Amino acid sequence: MLARTDAYYWRCVATPLCFVIFGLNSFVLGLIVLPLLKMLPGPAPDRARRLRNTVRYAFRLFAELMHRVGVLTYEWRNLERLGRPGQIIVANHPSLIDVVFLLGFTPGASCVVKEALWHNPFVRRVVAAAGYISNRSMSDMIEQAAATLERGQSVIIFPEGTRTVPGQPLQFHRGAANIAMRAATIVTPVFIRCEPPTLSRNEPWYRIPARRVRLSLHVGPDIDPQPFRDSGPRPHTARVFNEHLIRLFTAQLANS
Amino acid sequence: MNTATTENPTRIFELVRASLAELFEIDPTRVTPETGLFDELNIDSIDAVDLMLKVERTLGRKIAAEEFHSVRTVGDLVQAIARMQQG
Repeated sequence: MLARTDAYYWRCVATPLCFVIFGLNSFVLGLIVLPLLKMLPGPAPDRARRLRNTVRYAFRLFAELMHRVGVLTYEWRNLERLGRPGQIIVANHPSLIDVVFLLGFTPGASCVVKEALWHNPFVRRVVAAAGYISNRSMSDMIEQAAATLERGQSVIIFPEGTRTVPGQPLQFHRGAANIAMRAATIVTPVFIRCEPPTLSRNEPWYRIPARRVRLSLHVGPDIDPQPFRDSGPRPHTARVFNEHLIRLFTAQLANS
Repeated sequence: MNTATTENPTRIFELVRASLAELFEIDPTRVTPETGLFDELNIDSIDAVDLMLKVERTLGRKIAAEEFHSVRTVGDLVQAIARMQQG
């Protein structure tokens, strides 16, 4: 068994505290702050942007909090590439906390989020107010994502559709590739590593890792979707593009 | 967008068959009203979105996705599209 280091016993206190803070903050944000903000005057796009930005600041603050109390460290590379108009941001999904970082650090982004969160008592009002996109219906998801991109926002998608299954080859659902072929100006990959794993598929959520969690988020070079788009009808190009993304992520994540 | 056209089921079937050929390279002679979209033609829910988009563009009208939860065969799809035209 790994030796317990990095202020293990402190982390045993700080980590559950972070959970509680996240739950309470989301609840208060959804119940009080966002509804109040919604009432402020202004044209609809400004109000939508205000809500989105507030949610982003809340996630960003929480990310910094986890860092400050010593629960994790994080490292971005090429963060400045994120948050451009019509951009699809695709990322692997090793842990529940990676989405907090992507949403917290990417300006003007919407996100495709699993339908279950619209029914989660802590975050359901937040995801609705932020205008995130549900994955419940394929046609609605694709149309909403395309419309968001066309409005000049960026959209964060996890093509795995769920947290990574360790020890298995990467499985990317074709929704992200289809939306990319349909409406993206650029596709930017983010390669995320979470060492040691936490809040991942095969770890009980309450287990505090022996070492402090190191989250690394490396933004890769932009991918131009146009050459893929030009190569045939969309059912075909979406499949080809999806395979390309799987190969790219598999290669990048294999280098440690 | 052109004025929406209302087509009879035979014409809709031909439109669907042509779309299947163009989008998925499916041999038209394989396609009958009884052909299973998912089982036989391997058209999943993402493909269905692109197929419906093609049909909508040709017919000149939007078709609501909710109609298609019970669609299994090409014939089901044709009937659902024909029904949507009434609305």
